[in-house]
Amino acid sequence: MTFSQDDLPHLKLSLLAFLVTLAIGGSAVFFSQKFAQHAQQARQQARQQLADARSKLTAARDDQENMSTYTKEYTAIYRREIIGDEQRLNLIEGLETLRQRKRVLDFKYAIAPQQPYKPAQALDSGNFELQRSAMTLQFELLHEGQLINFFDSLRRDINGWFILDQCTMEWSAGATAQLKADCAGGWLTLKNRNTK
Amino acid sequence: MSLKTLFFLSSDSFHAHVCTNGALAAPCYFSNSADGLERFAEFLRSHEGPAYLLVDLIEEDFRQETVPHLTGANHQALIQRKFDQFYRSTPFRLARLQQRQSEGRRDDELLFSALTNPARISAWLELLLQYKTPIVGIYSVPHASTPLIKDIDSDHLLLLSREKDAGLRQSYFLNKRLRFSRLTPIDPNSSFADAVATETARTHQYLQSLSLTPQGQQLDVHIICHANDRAQLDKHLSNNPDIQYAYLDLQQLGKHIKSPYAYADSDASSLFLHLLAIQPPQANYATPAHTHYFQLWQTQRGLFGLAAATALICLVWSALLFLEGRGINEEIDNFKFQASRMMQEAQQITQKFPSGSANSGGNTASASDMKTAVTLFSSLQHYSVPPEQTLKGLATTLNNFPRIHTNKLDWQMNAASSLPEQVITFNGELADFGNDYRGALNYLERFQLMLTRAGYTVTPVKLPLDFSSKGSIGADIGNSREKPSEFSLKMIWRAQP
Repeated sequence: MTFSQDDLPHLKLSLLAFLVTLAIGGSAVFFSQKFAQHAQQARQQARQQLADARSKLTAARDDQENMSTYTKEYTAIYRREIIGDEQRLNLIEGLETLRQRKRVLDFKYAIAPQQPYKPAQALDSGNFELQRSAMTLQFELLHEGQLINFFDSLRRDINGWFILDQCTMEWSAGATAQLKADCAGGWLTLKNRNTK
Repeated sequence: MSLKTLFFLSSDSFHAHVCTNGALAAPCYFSNSADGLERFAEFLRSHEGPAYLLVDLIEEDFRQETVPHLTGANHQALIQRKFDQFYRSTPFRLARLQQRQSEGRRDDELLFSALTNPARISAWLELLLQYKTPIVGIYSVPHASTPLIKDIDSDHLLLLSREKDAGLRQSYFLNKRLRFSRLTPIDPNSSFADAVATETARTHQYLQSLSLTPQGQQLDVHIICHANDRAQLDKHLSNNPDIQYAYLDLQQLGKHIKSPYAYADSDASSLFLHLLAIQPPQANYATPAHTHYFQLWQTQRGLFGLAAATALICLVWSALLFLEGRGINEEIDNFKFQASRMMQEAQQITQKFPSGSANSGGNTASASDMKTAVTLFSSLQHYSVPPEQTLKGLATTLNNFPRIHTNKLDWQMNAASSLPEQVITFNGELADFGNDYRGALNYLERFQLMLTRAGYTVTPVKLPLDFSSKGSIGADIGNSREKPSEFSLKMIWRAQP
């Protein structure tokens, strides 16, 4: 089968029809493909949105549960100034108030600069940083009950969280103060990193 | 819709049939005159379908040749040489392989045939080509009739047919292969039966002269005729040892090839035309130049078909993709609806959370931070044991042991253990026991026992007197009456889990 240029007019209509069909059909397939691809991408995004929404809802429900469980306790420790920056002035004022109340014959104290605190047992502190201000105390006491009462007042009357590490009480005969005590501990605060 | 134009050319007439879906329309006759050609041109202008030209002419020659078996260009060259040798003056020539010999060089047996008077066709063909009619081929009745004898069991078969506008056609088939054919005009004054009787005898004689039918071999003569003519033929024709007559009913043959045409007489022209329309022989007399417009027509149709197929495929493909996309969009809507509902629910929950100034004293911690802070505080509380709690048991026990005086008390937290514990060192002395060592030791032992019951783990560090084998004791211990005996105990207090 051989064709010459003279045959082209005979074929031009069919050739044109084929080419036009190919162009239109190809375009239709191309755009449909694009449409389908775009839909697939959008579905992927929608799936991601759904996953995000689901995790937000789960988090909200967890928060709701946590809120109802922990709000009261959290508020209590927050009000005790355990959370946030150390309120050193309040501590000093509180200690002076104790002095004025004469819970003990006399006492001296020294508070060291605040340092990051790492408990001996590893604990999950989440967003919180543990800070500790070491404090040493020297007491002059009439009897050992005064020391116990002092620390009881310290815990009840002063905002903050004092953890007593050690104490040494020594009895002496003949002096005004029957016994002396040296104690050491630290004021602990929980600092939320997100509120810096 | 299948639309074909069938032309029938005989010595004296030329007519056309339009074949629509296998049904032949009434013939249009064209005379070989200026007027006839003009009418034919007019016909061609209005009929553009593929055209089949069937010729039934006296001037068709057949020649059997045995040639060496060749292939490809050599075979073509040989055929061309034979054409030039036998039929130089006509372009309408044909070579058909009959069989390949089974012995010797295994040569090919070829049947060469040609329309030896091209002027008979030229006038019509020129017009057909002028009007660019797609000519499928130029066929002759002998070649076109081959399919009719395929079911007839005969080695020497003479097929007879009558074409109204041509005459009596006799085609001889040896082992079902066309070997020879001749057309004889029918005398208008004689009957079909007379013509058959006369011409059959002549043909038989001719075949014998060519030694095509061996002596003693019977020639089977099959006559295509209408049922109305059969009785007359039967009457005139009688079988003899050389010739045996049989009849092929024209209407039955037509029915066999699914021709809806109703035959009025024994004219087989329409049968051959119909046969040509449904089952054209592959070989024909047309040259590539004659079928050029048919090739163009086929290409054109092929392109239209390709366009239609492309359109269909693209349409289906696009539709599937579109439907897939639409299905995905519905899925997306569902996802978005679910996500929106979840976000709304989450928002409703978070809106109910206490604000910063309400319950949390101005703090704006999240619930998880609250949980962490509370859990952390609770865990660290174990390290923050009030001294009262640690020393309560010791103080109570001491009240019950007045002869034990405290000199020094030291306690410190041991945070390294799994549960925080307080390690207490008690330094004391026993008073008023004199030389009652046993009483003093028993007293101290009871003291330790009571401390143990109070929850302490007690380990003596130093006893008033070491009566164990490892200790050393002096003779003047009795002189120490005025001096209280000092001792030291190590106690461990653990918070109850």
